[in-house]
This record gives sequence, structure tokens and C-alpha cells, in this order.
Amino acid sequence: MIDPLSLTAGLDATALPQQLLNGLMFGAIYALVALGYTMVYGVLKLINFAHGEVFMIGAYTALFVSWQMGYFQGASGLTRATNPGILILMLITAMVVCGFLGVLIERFAYRPMRKQPRIASLITAIGVSMLLQYGGALVLPVSPPRSILEQVNPYDGNLSIPLKPRDGELNAAFAKAKEAEAAAKATLEQRIKQEGVSSEFDLSDEGKQIRSASQSAAQATRDAENKYLASGMSLNIPYGQGIMFLATLALMGLLTYLVMFTKTGRQMRAVAHDFDSASLMGINVDKIVTITFIIGSSLAGAGAMMCATFLGTQLTSFVGVPWGVKAFVAAVLGGIGNIPGAVLGGLLIGVAETMVVWAGGSQYKDAIAFVILILVLLVKPGGLLGSAKVEKV
Amino acid sequence: MKNLLGVWLTLAASAAFLTGCNPSTDTPTSKGSSSSDTPNTSAKRPNPPKDGPAFGETIKIGLVASLNGELKPWGDDSKLGAELAADEINKAGGINGKKIELLVEDSNSKPEQGKTATDRLISKGVVGIVGEVASGITAQIADSAFQAGVPVVAIGATRTDLTDIGSNIFRVCYTDDFQGPVMAKFGFEELGLRRVAVLTDKRQPYSEGLSKSYIETFKKLGGTIISEEFYNSGDQQFNAQLTNIKGQNPDGLFLSGYFTEVGLIARQARDVGLKVKLLGGDGWDSQELVSGGGEGILGGYFCNHYNDNEDRQEVKDFLTKWKAKYNGKLPGTTMGALGYDSVALVADAVKRAASPDAKGLMAAIDSTENFLGVSGTITLKGHAGNPPKRALVVEVTSSGVVFRKAYEHFE
Repeated sequence: MIDPLSLTAGLDATALPQQLLNGLMFGAIYALVALGYTMVYGVLKLINFAHGEVFMIGAYTALFVSWQMGYFQGASGLTRATNPGILILMLITAMVVCGFLGVLIERFAYRPMRKQPRIASLITAIGVSMLLQYGGALVLPVSPPRSILEQVNPYDGNLSIPLKPRDGELNAAFAKAKEAEAAAKATLEQRIKQEGVSSEFDLSDEGKQIRSASQSAAQATRDAENKYLASGMSLNIPYGQGIMFLATLALMGLLTYLVMFTKTGRQMRAVAHDFDSASLMGINVDKIVTITFIIGSSLAGAGAMMCATFLGTQLTSFVGVPWGVKAFVAAVLGGIGNIPGAVLGGLLIGVAETMVVWAGGSQYKDAIAFVILILVLLVKPGGLLGSAKVEKV
Repeated sequence: MKNLLGVWLTLAASAAFLTGCNPSTDTPTSKGSSSSDTPNTSAKRPNPPKDGPAFGETIKIGLVASLNGELKPWGDDSKLGAELAADEINKAGGINGKKIELLVEDSNSKPEQGKTATDRLISKGVVGIVGEVASGITAQIADSAFQAGVPVVAIGATRTDLTDIGSNIFRVCYTDDFQGPVMAKFGFEELGLRRVAVLTDKRQPYSEGLSKSYIETFKKLGGTIISEEFYNSGDQQFNAQLTNIKGQNPDGLFLSGYFTEVGLIARQARDVGLKVKLLGGDGWDSQELVSGGGEGILGGYFCNHYNDNEDRQEVKDFLTKWKAKYNGKLPGTTMGALGYDSVALVADAVKRAASPDAKGLMAAIDSTENFLGVSGTITLKGHAGNPPKRALVVEVTSSGVVFRKAYEHFE
């Protein structure tokens, strides 16, 4: 029987399921941020370029909360947190702060421009984005880059899901090699003690020979371990990233409920469908716009908190830029204004990026999002799930 | 009637590129990379097109440092080190009765701003420039200074072909043609590594040069480079590259980039279950490395210029002076010592200058022999700006960076 996963010559097929999973997990974050772009575009027909900066503020909020709870570099007696309380606090604070920031941006930057031509709002959006980037550089601790300490996350380690069981015989060989290595290492340590040197790098010639033997034993162990591990196949999910993925899905589910099954959601959809008619039907348009900004921005805040915590993203006031651009591409790819489209677009971009790296083109990782964008706009200008409807002027 | 959405998207996309051009991560590739294959001692270096200014009432020395941006730890330390040296010389009465005036400009960790800073210093009439730490920024400084005929002493820029820009470029550190081989040798001989993967920062001339010299030597020693993967400064996710590397079963991973990304890579490598020895160059040298890398970076080895615990009189004196001036604190990175050495070396050359101007200073720097620096003995005479220096391999441990092995200069 031919193993279907080893058909592609030259490519490491055993890493493919893992890479797909990685792509999906990052794609989920892109999707979360893309939702903010698409929702605001839906109701206001405005691309909120300050969205990436909302993400940045969310990440910093999480950082400050973690500092406040005692998790900063150089704190004495730092140990891994035992419960997720701090994580939840960080998430909620980041979401609240970002939601509030979104409202502020809408109230003071976009609402005064609403009666003006759309190009004016667009320029304002870029202005707000730059204000937050460079203003942030003045007041936030941007340099050197900070990141949230990994001790905040109580879930260390990996979840391993076996896809194909490993070879038992190889495991026995691995165990044997491990024993031999331990013996060689003990000899080396004894030798180090005998020579009275502080490290294994100051040994005499004879000592170095013993060290070489120990290294060869370690080499053999590694080979045996690799053979054993490669005989099976498994998916590896760091707990932190697994939590990130599940939380993202939960937030998306919550959003779907909010938009599809509540009165506010219905009003939101009405405003998105026709802004003026909705206001004539007695919908408080300003309130709906505010709510849209709260939801979109707090989703970005949640994404930012999770990235900063589980990926260890280093924070500067420009940290939102790459995320903002990628998420924007994801929103356009899925059809801007279309909520399922944003999720689809985000997942596609995430998977495309990891697939490019998997195929050996890691230097083109950042280019792929834009290549996809150009292709989609050429073939289907409205995006995958969007419709390019002709607007009546 | 018009498809408004299309117009929107075009506008929006161009705007995205505008905002996407984050200057903090934009680095032009360095100049003169074509000559990187030639050995540094035989390279013919062009002379500056004109002569620089004469010494004034004071000896004006300019310092370009990254006082802001992601390389701030290095910029801060090189400034403190340079000021320490200048103060010490001035307290002792200056050089031939003239005081040193240190003018500091910020490069903001960006090559373009490094160039602006240099131009500003030159217009203020400096006779010599000290800086920078990053090779990409130093290339821009060297360019400007070459046109003005002002000598440059780079503090920590290790990219090998930098000094080919002109005969006015010098440095007080070793080059990547040395630290790459040192790490390859250390990994092969001392750690017993045979299959190594390399992860290179595509945006940093420093990282590309270092990876190249490492790969060459490691192959020459008989090791295998199983793959070279790439990323860009400012990237935040490395899982895809790391999963690829893990699939190839390496026993070591060489990270030639700067500490900002290296920490993150180390943390994510641990998460994907890649348990191999991590190695790198002097770009790792920062306390931020541990905050970014967490437990993943512990046990990693990198190449550095000097170590606080070295048993040499120069190091001990330097640390005493540093602690006395800066409230008992130790220098955070080795750039403190290199910044000190750079200014001290320029001051030493001022003393020996045949004519009281930039040209005389340049010739005096070029003829420096056996200058006792904190970071080791520096000889520039006959070495085309690249002093043959020793390099130290240090290990990152939970209690800080620990000295492991020293390598004297070898070809």
C-alpha cells in the first residue's frame, strides 16, 4: 500500500498536517482582526485603518495588566502561574480598553467626517493610525521591545495527538541508546570532577576524548530518537495556542449569535443594508455604529492579548501594522463587509503563509498574502463571498 | 455609474502599503556586498574624495547611536561607554591641551536616520565619527563620512565587507568572517554538532553575512547544513519555519539575527518541541534576549567581544570606572566596552596625528598598533580597518551570561 502522505517528492509530507494546523491557528487570529475591518466597512462603508493600532493598544493593555499582577522581567521569585485567573483578567481588560478606544476613535475622528466625502474619512483613518503609532512611541515603553512573560500562562507543554502509532522496536533501541548516553555522560562528569575544571570546555586532551565519546553517545541517542519519532506521525499543539484557537472560535460563535439572533444584530444588519433607510425606520444609527465599533475593536483586543501572551510577540507601537495589513487583506479576500467572508479570508491567508514556508519558500511568506489579494481582485473583485454590486450614484 | 468598491479597494490598498511601510523594520541592503568573498586584508579600499576639517578649539568627535528603537540597549550602552572615555581623557587634561567634545546624535535604530545623524555631525565640524552597532546603519554612516573625508570607527558592526567602502572606515570589533567560523568550530568540536539548520533574517545585512560565513566553515569542518530558512525583522510567528526544521531532525540551530527576533524564535522553538542546541552571533547580546526567549533560550551559546568576568587588568579597571560613574551598575551589553574602546582609540590617534586635521587622524588610526582596549588588543596597521581580535563563546544561563571558551584570531 502506498502511503498517500509520502507521495510528494522532495517535500516533507509528514510535516504537512502539522503545518496545516499551524496555518489554521494563525488564520483564526487574522480572522478575528479581519472581523473588525469588515463589520465597520459593513455599516459605515469606511475602512478603519486605525484597527491595527487598536490591536497594538490591546497588546499593551495585556502587558500592563501582567506587570500589575507581578509578572515583569526581574521580579523576584517568579514562578509559573497556577490558575488562568490572570489570563482571563488580561483578556477582559484588553477587550474593554480596546472597545472603549474604538468608541473614542469613532466619536471624535469618524463621526464629524460622516457627512463629508468618503475620501475625507479615509484620510482621517490613516491620520488616526499614524497618531497612535507615533504618539504611542512617545509614551509607551516601546524600546527595547517588551513581551509578556511566559510564566503568566499556567499551561506549559504540548498536546500530542497521534495520527500513526510509532514503532515499538525503535523505541526499545532508543531506550538502549539513552542508557548508553547516560553512562558516557557519567564518565565525563567524573572526569570533569577529577580534573577540577569549571566546565567541560577546559579539559585536557585525554578528557576531550572522553567528551567525544559522550558526544557520540548523545548523537546516537538523537538518531535513535529521531528514527523512533519519525516512525509515527502526530500533531503537536502547544496548550497556549490550543487555548488561543478555542477562544477565537468561541468569540466568533458569540459574534454570530449577536449578529444573527438578537435585536441589535438585526438593526446592525439593517444599517449595513441601507444606512439612510434604517434611520428612517427608527433605528438609532449612531448607537448601532458605536456598538459595531465596540464589538470590532474588542475582538482585535482579544486577538492582541492572545498573540502577545501565547506567541510572546514583542511590543512596539508599530506592532499592529503587520497584523492590520494582513487582516485587511483577509477581509478583502473574503469580501469586505461580509462576516463569514472575513473568517474564511483569515483562515486562507494563515494556511497560505504556512504552506509557502512548508514548500521551502520562507522568504516569500509575507508576499503571499498580497499575491492572493491581487489574484482575487483580478478574478472576483468583490472577494470570495462578497458581491461586486454596482452602486447607484 | 461606477464600481465604487473597486476605486475604494485601490485607494485602500495603496494606503495599506503606505501605513505598511513601517520605517522601524525597513533596512536597505548594505553596499558593496559583491566584495564579501575577498579576504579582508587584501581588499583595495578607495580613498575619500576630499579631506575632512581641521581640529578646532576642541577635538570634536561625533557619536551615532540608537538611542531609540529596538536597538536601544546597544545605543544606550555605546553612549555611556563613549562618554566614560571622553570624561576620563578630559579630566586628565585632554589631548595636547585640547579637550574632547563628544557630540551625540540618535539614529533611532534606522539606517536612513543614521545617515541624517551623520550629516548633522559633519555639518557641525566633527573630525571623527564613532558608531554604530548595526551593520546596516553603519553602512549609511560610512557612506556619508566617506564623501566628507571624516574617519569612522564602528563600535560593533561586524559585517565583513563594511570596511571596503573606503579607507576612512575602521572598527574595534571582530568581523563576521571570524565569529561565524568561531561558532561553527565551537559547535562542531566542543558540542559535537553534525547536522545544523540555519535561520537567517533576510532584512539584515549582518544576519546574511554571518549565516554565510558560518555555513562555509561548518561544511568545511565536515558538518551538514540540513536547511536554511528565512524570516524578516519584525516577524512574530516562526512556527512554520520551525516545524519544517523540526521535520529534518537537526541537532543544532544557528540563529544569526538580532536578539529582538531570536528570543521569540527560541520561545516558539520550545513550543513546537524542537529541543536542539541554539547558537548565534553577537547580535544576541542583550538582556532583552531572556525576556523574549524565556526558558527556551537558556543553554544557548553565542559569540561575544568580551566578558565582565574576564581576568584582565583592562576589564577590571574599566568596570571599576564604569561602576563609579554609573551608580554601581554594570554595563548591560558589551557595547559599553566597545564604545569606550572606540573613543579611547580615536583619542590615542589624535595624540599621534601628524597633522591636526581629519586626514592626519585617519592616517593615525590606520597605524594603530597594540592598543590595549577593554575588549582586547587592537591592531589596525596593515589590516584594512579590521583588527584581528579574539572572540569569546558565552552561554545563556538563568543567572546571566557565562563565559565558556575563548578563541584567538585564526584565518
